Amino acid sequence: MTQTVEPAIIIRGMNKFYGSFQALKNIDLTVEQGERIVICGPSGSGKSTLIRCINHLEAHQSGDIAVLGTPLDNNIANIDEIRREVGMVFQHFNLFPHMTVLENCALAPMLVRKWPRAKAEEMAMQYLEKVKIPDQAEKFPGQLSGGQQQRVAIARSLSMQPKVLLFDEPTSALDPEMISEVLDVMVSLANDGMTMLCVTHEMGFARQVADRVIFMDEGEIIEQNPPEEFFGNPQNERTQQFLSQILGR
Amino acid sequence: MLSAWNNIKLRNAVLQILYVGGFVALIVTLIVMGRTNLQEQGIISGFDFLWKATGWEVSFSLIEFTSRDPYWLVLVVGLLNTLFLGVIGLVLATVIGVIIGMARTSANDLARLLGATYVEIFRNIPLIVQVFFWYAVVTRFPGPRQAINVGDSLFLSSRGLYAPGLNITGLSAFLGIVAFLTGLGVIVWVSSAQQFRRMEPARKSRLRWLILLVAFVVTTVIFWIGRLPDTTLVSMPALKGLNFRGGIRVSTELSAMAISIAIYGGAYIAEIVRGGFKSVGRGQIEAAQSVGLTNWQVFSRIRFPLALRAMLPILANQYVWLIKATTMGIAIGFTDFFMVVSTAINQSGQTLELLGILMGGFLIINFTLAAVLNRINRAIALKGDQLRT
Repeated sequence: MTQTVEPAIIIRGMNKFYGSFQALKNIDLTVEQGERIVICGPSGSGKSTLIRCINHLEAHQSGDIAVLGTPLDNNIANIDEIRREVGMVFQHFNLFPHMTVLENCALAPMLVRKWPRAKAEEMAMQYLEKVKIPDQAEKFPGQLSGGQQQRVAIARSLSMQPKVLLFDEPTSALDPEMISEVLDVMVSLANDGMTMLCVTHEMGFARQVADRVIFMDEGEIIEQNPPEEFFGNPQNERTQQFLSQILGR
Repeated sequence: MLSAWNNIKLRNAVLQILYVGGFVALIVTLIVMGRTNLQEQGIISGFDFLWKATGWEVSFSLIEFTSRDPYWLVLVVGLLNTLFLGVIGLVLATVIGVIIGMARTSANDLARLLGATYVEIFRNIPLIVQVFFWYAVVTRFPGPRQAINVGDSLFLSSRGLYAPGLNITGLSAFLGIVAFLTGLGVIVWVSSAQQFRRMEPARKSRLRWLILLVAFVVTTVIFWIGRLPDTTLVSMPALKGLNFRGGIRVSTELSAMAISIAIYGGAYIAEIVRGGFKSVGRGQIEAAQSVGLTNWQVFSRIRFPLALRAMLPILANQYVWLIKATTMGIAIGFTDFFMVVSTAINQSGQTLELLGILMGGFLIINFTLAAVLNRINRAIALKGDQLRT
């Protein structure tokens, strides 16, 4: 009998190939529950691929992944189980354009959690209030701005009440003036204690909320440290080079 | 004066009047010339011939028709045959098209290869050649005595396909089919209409089954009421002497036409279906997977509804085209609308009137079809212009 809380995500010796190209090399990563992690690195370094492996949008070829104690293997029931508990927010929002904002949010709780519509919509409205757009509930995604769409996408993920949230460059497709409205929502989620893995170039966000910043290059985790250490005293040459490019120092 | 001509509103009005006036003058001239020419040839134009008896028979009719019946009835026979063939052809072509189109977008290499082969073969051979080919195939089945017997109920022979039928009146058959199709229509309406959008998924599913059950019961009751006296309700085909008695016979001409339209149209519809599914963004599918939807839920809630929206406008075009393609029936002697009109022209000499009726008939069928599909298309169109995929 152990009293310690099990880690949210455990990745051991994971490799991922596209044909003969190795996208991820021998990844080891443990994420505790409630931990907030920011993953950064140059384009093509494998950071998106890494978080897409966690909910099996990409299949890994070797190594082990376990999410909240459930091993990610070829068992469809396990994959479904993990996806129920892990939400994801995409770069291009990926809302369902034929459904209203409210339907986007209530769909999965009704179909997957088998909640009655009234309960699913009530919960969805709560999360739409959390992302500050309850007044847009009856509109369609195409009638909203990019920033509003991304906030709906966050509310859609939250409506499943996930234990882990994955963010795949959530602000990269947004116009500059809309980035802060999305980051504000992400900061408030972080303050609520959500387990988060964010692939992002928003270093201000990393400094403000991250427990750990991970730098990836060419499919490998090069360096990981708390933000003060990561930004103040980067160890690896490639990390230093990346930071000087992105922060303009 | 010159400044008035430079006024854009005035100038447009004058041009518009000249254009419409010229068009009306052209039509009137054509009609007057046509009438004068016909009168010189001794042909009396007009539609009085429609009430004369034809004096000839048709080989395939859905309603009672004899040589003593008038011309207007033979036109109705042809129109019904065209609609009958059109409905069978479009339904089968859609089924084939969806199967082949899905195969072409599947992850399975063999399925993709088979789908591509099918499309390339049947899309690239002219329809008329396929019509002759399938007619040759169905007329080369063995004679009635050696007919291919499928479970003592289906018989394939050179005289046509014999299948179990119902001993009921034509009217009750018609009403029963209409009742059942209405039921299916209501189910589609319940599934897509705004009024039912907010219903619980489980209740909606139960409601759909209930409607299907009601439609089935109503249809059965209509058939039961309309059964012919002193006969069993189900009539099985059986060999009596040199030919089959009982059941229903699907003529070789109708079979050949239905097969051709289904297979040829299926190849085109498969490409439309493939394009529709390809147009659905990978992102939407990944988002649906990431919130935990199962493969079937991703397909039925996201992929299919979005693909359908991309397919519908092109599908309407294809359906209209296939309805017009039924006129190829004249090549193998299927008594469709075109064939009865062409025979009627030979027999009565009322060429312009009958061609007018023929064109009007197809115009009405296809206009109605396109209008219905456009209405559905408008109802389900995606809203807003801020979409990124």
